[in-house]
Amino acid sequence: MSAPTQTTARGAAASSPDAAPRGFLGRSTRRWLLLAAGLVLALVLPWVIYPPVAMDIAAWALFAVALDLLLGYAGLLSFGHAAFWGGSAYVAGLTAVHWGLPFPLAVLVGAVFAMALAWPIGMLSVRRSGIYFAMVTLAFAQMLFFVVNQWRGLTGGENGLQGVPAGFFGVEAVEREAFWFYYAALPMIIGGMWLAWRVVHSPFGRVLVATRDNPARARALGYDVDRYRVMVFVISAGLAGVAGGLFAISHGFVSLQEVAWQTSGKVVLITVLGGIGTLWGAIVGAVVIVILEDQLASSGFDGIGIITGSVFIIVVLLFRRGVWGTVADAVARRTGRRPADEAVGAADGEDGR
Amino acid sequence: MSSKRLVATAVVSSAALLLSACGSGGPGGGDGEFTDGKVTLAVLNDQSGVYKDLSGPNSVKAVEMAVADFQEKYGDDAVVEEVEVVSADHQNKPDIANTKAQELYDREGADIILDVPTSSAALAVATQAAEQQKLYINIGAGTTELTNGQCNKYTFHWAYDTYQLAQTTGTAIAEAGGTDWQIIYPDYAFGQDMDKSFTAAVEGAGGTVGDHIATPFPNDNFTTFLTKAASAEPDVIGAMQAGGDLINLVKQYNEGGYADDGIDLAVGLMFITDIHSLGVEAFEGVQFAEAWYWNLDEENRAWADRFLDETGTRPSFAHAANYSAALQYLEAVQAEGTDDADTVVGHLEGKEIDDVFLKNGKVRAEDHRVIHDVYLAKVKSPDAVEEEWDYEEIVSTIPAEDAFMPLEDSSCSMG
Repeated sequence: MSAPTQTTARGAAASSPDAAPRGFLGRSTRRWLLLAAGLVLALVLPWVIYPPVAMDIAAWALFAVALDLLLGYAGLLSFGHAAFWGGSAYVAGLTAVHWGLPFPLAVLVGAVFAMALAWPIGMLSVRRSGIYFAMVTLAFAQMLFFVVNQWRGLTGGENGLQGVPAGFFGVEAVEREAFWFYYAALPMIIGGMWLAWRVVHSPFGRVLVATRDNPARARALGYDVDRYRVMVFVISAGLAGVAGGLFAISHGFVSLQEVAWQTSGKVVLITVLGGIGTLWGAIVGAVVIVILEDQLASSGFDGIGIITGSVFIIVVLLFRRGVWGTVADAVARRTGRRPADEAVGAADGEDGR
Repeated sequence: MSSKRLVATAVVSSAALLLSACGSGGPGGGDGEFTDGKVTLAVLNDQSGVYKDLSGPNSVKAVEMAVADFQEKYGDDAVVEEVEVVSADHQNKPDIANTKAQELYDREGADIILDVPTSSAALAVATQAAEQQKLYINIGAGTTELTNGQCNKYTFHWAYDTYQLAQTTGTAIAEAGGTDWQIIYPDYAFGQDMDKSFTAAVEGAGGTVGDHIATPFPNDNFTTFLTKAASAEPDVIGAMQAGGDLINLVKQYNEGGYADDGIDLAVGLMFITDIHSLGVEAFEGVQFAEAWYWNLDEENRAWADRFLDETGTRPSFAHAANYSAALQYLEAVQAEGTDDADTVVGHLEGKEIDDVFLKNGKVRAEDHRVIHDVYLAKVKSPDAVEEEWDYEEIVSTIPAEDAFMPLEDSSCSMG
């Protein structure tokens, strides 16, 4: 009877990798099926729901995946990711406004800025973990918030940076219609998610999980734990930057909201709700939260926070592994496999008791 | 809009997405043509946060009152039989305002969006209005950008703005003899703007502003700033704080007994709902700009009585302005016989209007600023309050022409 490990996420990479011969075929097939289903979902999304909302879902999904990379696989809870999402949003917006860059380039410039910003912040904050890491990242994000708020000439202060064009090489449909913009932006979203998936399933990702579960041991094996953490922090910031840049350009403006701490909180909420350490969970969380907020906004009901808050409490209390983790467990149980064989990894309940 | 329906929608749509079922939902709804045979008015504002009482759900009621009045007035002669009112909550977030505005225009078939407090949200909606070429009448936001750099053909600014607040309070008080000022302002964009506008207004009326005291934002201890301001023995301390900060500042002003030393307090931005929530004692004697007051005259009072019957509360200026904007829009539709946006805009431009909200009102064609008489109000002492919401004494009326930014100063150019 082993003592329960307190690291919350038991991610894909936490379970034994592709080796298990018995589950190999089934798991691989399932993974491809999932991937295909995900792609189909991504492609039909703007047909099923209002295209601007579909774009919001896609951007938040990538943002949550970026956070999950850090939270689920490196065990670092960043409470300041709005700095990268919002920082990139402002830089992408400014380059689009002043230089007239087409939006994919503007977003990439934004993402590079986010990574450049993340490097020193990461260096300083990975020295701490747990609540201290969260507080240090929050502090840096708040600094950026005040800089953006005060630098009115550049950012428009609290009025926001308005009139950001969505230039796309003169293709009018993409520049004007949210529906086509979604498809133009989708490759960047999927590319970002693929990158996160590659990171998780690479040797680098395995080391990351090791530094999460037992940093002392990883260090003893000769891995520079802090360096790995800074690297994943920067990658995560870059992905958050892509998401933030796309979000801002799809809306046509950047506001202080993007760098506010509430944005950092929302992405943590989405990730935890969906299930951390799964990547898929982040996507599910984004779908649920964005649709819920959108529906509540036209409902005439005046307690939006009460609903999202209650959903969060219920999920955390009853489905500790989030929506995705819980569903994956149920599927695993039905197919008669031990959850540990599954892509979603060992359940807390399995190795905890 | 039952919450049942919305939960069901949320569940169904999430489930549909999760299972990646075939997209049978499809884009629904009308396509917003006048050929629908109806006009749709949308109220987009804060229904759950800090501006809920100021505007919020009761503004939707006010717009419904305007529709009822329109239908009663024209009856069978109305050019359009069905007038629908829809609403959405933007939670003061510009992203949500932006998406909702887009959705209201092209999914819900809204012909016009009303209200939208919070500057960043208001500007985002203005951009949407220009893109979708549909009308937008702002009431709740104060930014002058709407009729300056960010102005456009489809956007109108109906009630107030920061320039007018300064012009009203600063000029009126200075002309009444309160010439020696100290200004305390929160150190961010809104506060800096207000400080500048007030200084210009006070100096334009022959007054002087001594110190400009910047305070952190947010902040709750203003005693040192008040002491510093009072030490110069000014006639007036101008406070540019808003919301919770303002409440703290006013409390500390009262506790300091500055009123007994003959130092008045003028507030940059304040609403009747602030007085209502904190109690009239706390604000006694404070002077501020009011765009409309329910108990000013018989006409206002009669409308306020109707509003009271509908909602159980007295109207703020925002409620009256929403009513007025909706009514004037419908009048324009009636006059032109269409809800075609360009035609209606053409009708409204330059129009002179007198209604319950707009006194000596005029829609300026050049920048779409709607000008009207505004007031300098003073909060009554608790003894003088005769009924609930009877909080204000109107000190002076500032004529429409003097209250708003002169056209030659506006940087608006309608493209």
